[in-house]
Amino acid sequence: MILDAHGHVGTWPDFLIPNPTAEHLVATMDRIGVDAMGISHLLAVGPDAVRGNELAMEIAERFPGRFGVWQVYNPHHRTPLAREGVWGVKLHPDVHQCRLDDPLYEPVWRLGLPVLAHGQTDSPWSDPAQFAAVAARHPRVPLIMGHTGLWPYGFGRAARLVADHPNVYLDTCGSKMTGRWIARLVELAGAERVLFGSDACFLDLRTGYGRVALAPLSDADRALVRGANLARLLGLPAGPHA
Amino acid sequence: MPKYVFDAHRLVGPVPFDDLPSDPRGEMDRLGIDRACVTHTLSLHSDPQAGNEALLALGDPRLVPVPVVVPGETRDDWEGVRMIRLCPERHRFDLTGPRALRSLEALGLPAAIDLDETSPAQLRHLAERLPGQRLLVLNPGYRRLRALAELMEEAPNVWAEIGTVNTQGGVEWLAARFGARRLVFGTGAPVSDDCGPRFLLDHLDLPAEDVERIAAGTLEALL
Repeated sequence: MILDAHGHVGTWPDFLIPNPTAEHLVATMDRIGVDAMGISHLLAVGPDAVRGNELAMEIAERFPGRFGVWQVYNPHHRTPLAREGVWGVKLHPDVHQCRLDDPLYEPVWRLGLPVLAHGQTDSPWSDPAQFAAVAARHPRVPLIMGHTGLWPYGFGRAARLVADHPNVYLDTCGSKMTGRWIARLVELAGAERVLFGSDACFLDLRTGYGRVALAPLSDADRALVRGANLARLLGLPAGPHA
Repeated sequence: MPKYVFDAHRLVGPVPFDDLPSDPRGEMDRLGIDRACVTHTLSLHSDPQAGNEALLALGDPRLVPVPVVVPGETRDDWEGVRMIRLCPERHRFDLTGPRALRSLEALGLPAAIDLDETSPAQLRHLAERLPGQRLLVLNPGYRRLRALAELMEEAPNVWAEIGTVNTQGGVEWLAARFGARRLVFGTGAPVSDDCGPRFLLDHLDLPAEDVERIAAGTLEALL
């Protein structure tokens, strides 16, 4: 079972994404054996969370069992949040320029669903220290640190900062992640705290999964990272995963 | 899956900012990488000439030496060398200045350059000044795909390493425009990741003969 904790659909203004569609993602998932992916629509991460979330839900309905939805919460727009039919809530403190520990996110923590947040070492908006702070305040909310802080110089620090917060998980996506660092994170944080994420279609799903597939891990640890941890976290059955 | 894999971009030696394997061969064996172009880290993080000497002393046919040239400073005779590397940002020289142009013209070898060490505009200018110069763009990344494509359109002697072309379908997008004869497998390991690019190589949505070219054939021809 392979579950991708961190995916997107749609275009992004900073650069060209040659294949930003759900159709292309599903074809790639089939090619390499990824069962399901949690997505937020990049329109929702950007200026229109309401419409972007609707698009993500439509995609999940169009491809039953292949996509779960991370509904984006824009703290400035106070996006309405669903309680059912989603994997959880996606936060992007850097794009929204609102620190992860800002009170504007209170509706998200009150909802209690799993939260996937962009994490970026030394960012004023999403430094891993802020994950430790909000995890301490909301210990019952599963919190996934997207990119484990993004920059290699901060990976180890990120793992140490959340070591005493078992509700925080580290995801493996990001252009600077390596198979070697995934193995180190498993050593530092424990295999049960590390989740496969690809950041596709922003990044290439094959490269993201390849880091997990070929990382120097034991078979048991790899099975946890590539899907078993996320299935446990989301309470997903062994079958379809949306 | 390709029968033979040749990595255009690996490092040998220690780096000052992390604890990484100095010898690439263990990971190459583990990941099924048959051969690699290597540069010594001393050439990047200490003395270019000392790194080049350590590199040339390796004497392993699996590791193809790519010494670092600082125009006007490093030696000019590179017997047996098939490609050199330039680091204009790190070594603070003008890539399109008269000294670099004279040096490249005299060497007559393909030159590998990390895109973070220069810019597409500067590479285009270099290609215009030396139209016969073969240039391999290392680490082009995924955020500059449009600029990379414009460079490759204008400069037929530019090749690209695919290891960091890491947005969804980016390698196939380049292959559709320029063909597999302009693309080479490379990783930048151990600083950059080799697991993801190696997996990508096995799962490209391209004809088998194009995958073989990207895996090794294009680089063999370039060298």
